[in-house]
Amino acid sequence: MKLVLSTSNIMTSHPSISHRPLTEKSNTELTGSLRNNITSAQEAAKSSSQTTKSASPKAPWIAETTSTLSIPCPSLSRSGPLQEPRSAYDITVKLFFLPSIPSSRRCEHTREALDLVLKELGVDSIDLLITSFPGISFDAEDDSDSDLSDLSQPSSPTHNTFDSVSAGVDGCGDSVVQPESIDSLLTTYATLESLVDSGLIHTLGLAEFGTSRLQKFLPKTRIPPTVDQINVRDCCVVPRPLIQYAKAQGLELLTHNDCTDILPRGTLRDLLGPKEGKGVGVLAGTGEKEDGELGLRGDVEPQFVVKYTAVVRDRGVVENKGYFAVAELNEE
Amino acid sequence: MGLLAIGTPLEWPEAKQVASHVREWGVEQLLAIWRRAKGKERDALLWGDEIEYLVVCYDDQHRKVRLSLRQADILAALANDEKLLEEGGGVPDVKRGPAKTRKGPCAPVFHPEFGRFMLEATPGKPWGIGFKDLLGVEPDMKLRRVIAKEHMAETEYPITMTTFPRLGCSDCTMPSYPASGPKLRSQFLPDEIANPHIRFPTLAANIRARRGRKVEVNVPIFKDEKTPWPFSDPTVNYDLHNWPEDDDVRNGAVKPNYIYMDAMAFGMGSCCLQITFQAKNIDEGRKMYDQLSPIGPIMLALTAATPIYKGFLADTDVRWNQISRAVDDRTREELGEAPLKNDRWRIPKSRYAANSTYISQDPRLRPEYLDPDLVVDEDLKAKLVAGGMDDVLATHFAHLFIRDPIVVFNEDLKELDLDKTDHFENLQSTNWQHMRFKPPPPGNDTGWRVEFRPMEIQITDFENAAFAIFIVLITRAILSFDLNFYVPIPKTTENMETAHRRDAVLNDKFWFRKNPFSQKTHGETSTPNSSPPTPLGPVEDEFEEMTIAEVINGQSKDDGFPGLIPLVESYLNSVNIDIETRCELARYLDLIRKRADGTLWTGARWMREFVRSHKEYKMDSVVGEDISYDLVTMVEDITKREGKDGKGEQMFGKRR
Repeated sequence: MKLVLSTSNIMTSHPSISHRPLTEKSNTELTGSLRNNITSAQEAAKSSSQTTKSASPKAPWIAETTSTLSIPCPSLSRSGPLQEPRSAYDITVKLFFLPSIPSSRRCEHTREALDLVLKELGVDSIDLLITSFPGISFDAEDDSDSDLSDLSQPSSPTHNTFDSVSAGVDGCGDSVVQPESIDSLLTTYATLESLVDSGLIHTLGLAEFGTSRLQKFLPKTRIPPTVDQINVRDCCVVPRPLIQYAKAQGLELLTHNDCTDILPRGTLRDLLGPKEGKGVGVLAGTGEKEDGELGLRGDVEPQFVVKYTAVVRDRGVVENKGYFAVAELNEE
Repeated sequence: MGLLAIGTPLEWPEAKQVASHVREWGVEQLLAIWRRAKGKERDALLWGDEIEYLVVCYDDQHRKVRLSLRQADILAALANDEKLLEEGGGVPDVKRGPAKTRKGPCAPVFHPEFGRFMLEATPGKPWGIGFKDLLGVEPDMKLRRVIAKEHMAETEYPITMTTFPRLGCSDCTMPSYPASGPKLRSQFLPDEIANPHIRFPTLAANIRARRGRKVEVNVPIFKDEKTPWPFSDPTVNYDLHNWPEDDDVRNGAVKPNYIYMDAMAFGMGSCCLQITFQAKNIDEGRKMYDQLSPIGPIMLALTAATPIYKGFLADTDVRWNQISRAVDDRTREELGEAPLKNDRWRIPKSRYAANSTYISQDPRLRPEYLDPDLVVDEDLKAKLVAGGMDDVLATHFAHLFIRDPIVVFNEDLKELDLDKTDHFENLQSTNWQHMRFKPPPPGNDTGWRVEFRPMEIQITDFENAAFAIFIVLITRAILSFDLNFYVPIPKTTENMETAHRRDAVLNDKFWFRKNPFSQKTHGETSTPNSSPPTPLGPVEDEFEEMTIAEVINGQSKDDGFPGLIPLVESYLNSVNIDIETRCELARYLDLIRKRADGTLWTGARWMREFVRSHKEYKMDSVVGEDISYDLVTMVEDITKREGKDGKGEQMFGKRR
């Protein structure tokens, strides 16, 4: 069973404002807004007498198709279409490939992620797709990439390390997963290039690539990326070689504060868990199923996360921003 | 203020007799604008800042600093600078280069101001929201100062202090003129202190005449260790008999423990940092106007830079009320000091004051937020409504139109030209509220605009850029998050008073809304009328008193106010922004964060402490010529080095 979790438009419904310095990486925006969106859909369903057509017999706040549960039900949360003509917007999508998911699934996941976003925003293309690969973390102090190894695949069971990280706790444990080889990255990237060819994506971007990784990667791309997103805690310690290389390549260095492993399995399990454990009641706990809980049983495995923003270009207004997180539920 | 209009200005009371005429034509012109522009859509964010300078003149040999009255010469020099004109800059009132046709950078433009010792500079063309545009602001401000200086004499320098420390003391101008002229009738300042364009002396004279006496600008004196107490302003001459208004001081205009000032120039000679935004359409403009209004007093307190008046330390930190009093044309009847006989109503506020209206059609605007004391010209409002304007906006303009036009040119009364806006602007531009809602001007593509007016000018261009850009980013956060800062208007009025207190930024609390987010429930956006509206709690539960640090940086308690800077940062994290820009913005936000929490000092605090630690200061509140000279010299030095050499470090912290 596939679970499609959504935040709806977090700009106007559930903004998550942090007091911590916002240059610090965090995934609380994702986890907090998922939680908010699901719980308010639960409340909305409770207070509304008639159930919507698409609602699942399992619970009025989710939607169900053959193999997919949409949580919450899109009709309870979908924001309206964009207000201006498509050309007025810069639409940026950031796709987070997660550790322990085989890279062979990425082509399919990319299509799926884009479909979700295009449908949500009511558009037929996006301007920029930034890809976040697992295990790749730019470190301003050490841009040597000396630890770059030629492991063809990240070892899969590392996610267990994160089981202690519960939803709502700040910070990321990004560095544990081994980054994959340049060739493996290029294989994924070629998929993205083909989506540029088909007109679905206008330009491509990367996240957390340091100089040496860029130097190896860029020459082998057919459609070079236009953007590299890096997280720098103190803006003034961006390594000069990176700035120079980026300038020479016409690569724009943008900032971000997303965790690379944005949705560890343990975080998702806690978020979806029973209400008595501060979850939203999608998954069953050990005790009795409470009223309003879905109480599914099984093991959840996050597949990918996608973040989207639609910004009115000449006014700098963020009109829509949100996330989808897709997970597999291996039912017991 | 446009200066090109010239003619024969009516003196008071002739101007009074045509007031209704001007108001009615003003309303006709407003309706013409309304019909033409109410549907204007999809304008980009364009914005501009205005920097105002005092031009000082040093006499190093005698350790004196005076105000230079050479505004006209300096503007003439700027208007004749071929290179400046070629690059699109100049002096629009005299001559400027081709701004509109220029792609890329455009040289700045300069404007006259009320004070003959003042200069205003704006960017040659408006800024956009491209984040790289934001990086251009500070260098442009610096360039403006450099260009201004290049057209001044060796001994002159443009400084950005709100007020000149010894304005109104003897020998404070270069050249020197005798006080007590026919227009201002001030016992401290000569008529020559004002811009000689006929509009300005007429404005000052007619305000005085309408009021029936001189303006009274009283500021509480700062009580220092050796300040005589009760303090009675020793500079007041009670034996002057040149004009009938010289009786004012004998009739109680001077108050014990106050510094007394008696002319428009004491207020309108202050320098401000004003920011104007173009909205996407009229609705967005109205929303921005409302949402920025409660932020006004916060920014006034945070930018405090006015601790000195007429050679004395004041017990307040900001300029606002002094300007308000300096242009207060209300009669005794309007002030409530005499029974209403000739005038139409009591008016609670000066023409220059915290604003009194909300103008948005936002459903979140509760009737309880509106000012219960609002005075409106119901006849004019009825005309606006009959002309198709909605009630809320008609109320706003019918409120502005309770005032009399002050400067009326005889020639303009012959024929009503609906393609012009002169009569409308006559009233609009002499309502100096802390927010201004500006309709599109005729004849070009400019859209609906909102002006944010409360901020004090800062000593350095770094600070001015920081505050200007901060406000721009707040507007973007307001629109992106659909923030709600509504509080009842009287609370904002009260906050404006609070902002005056010495070190209000550290010690005082301001009414502010606790939760800026809209209470939206699921499905509401798609089916707005499907569920009954949630009943709203009492208005009083929506806001509480907060420190400036809490408003800017957020409250630490759970569910507390998130803070304007966290909101701005959260906005910035939602847009694609390059590292260099983010770095620069981080410097600006850091300054504001630390000003708010007291780590760094406001300009007012720094100046006050500079005076108090000066070797010539006698702990008696007097800012003598020596201190003034050293202060202004130091301020000039700080504009150049911005604290990097340790001077003024309390305002900036350690800088690279």
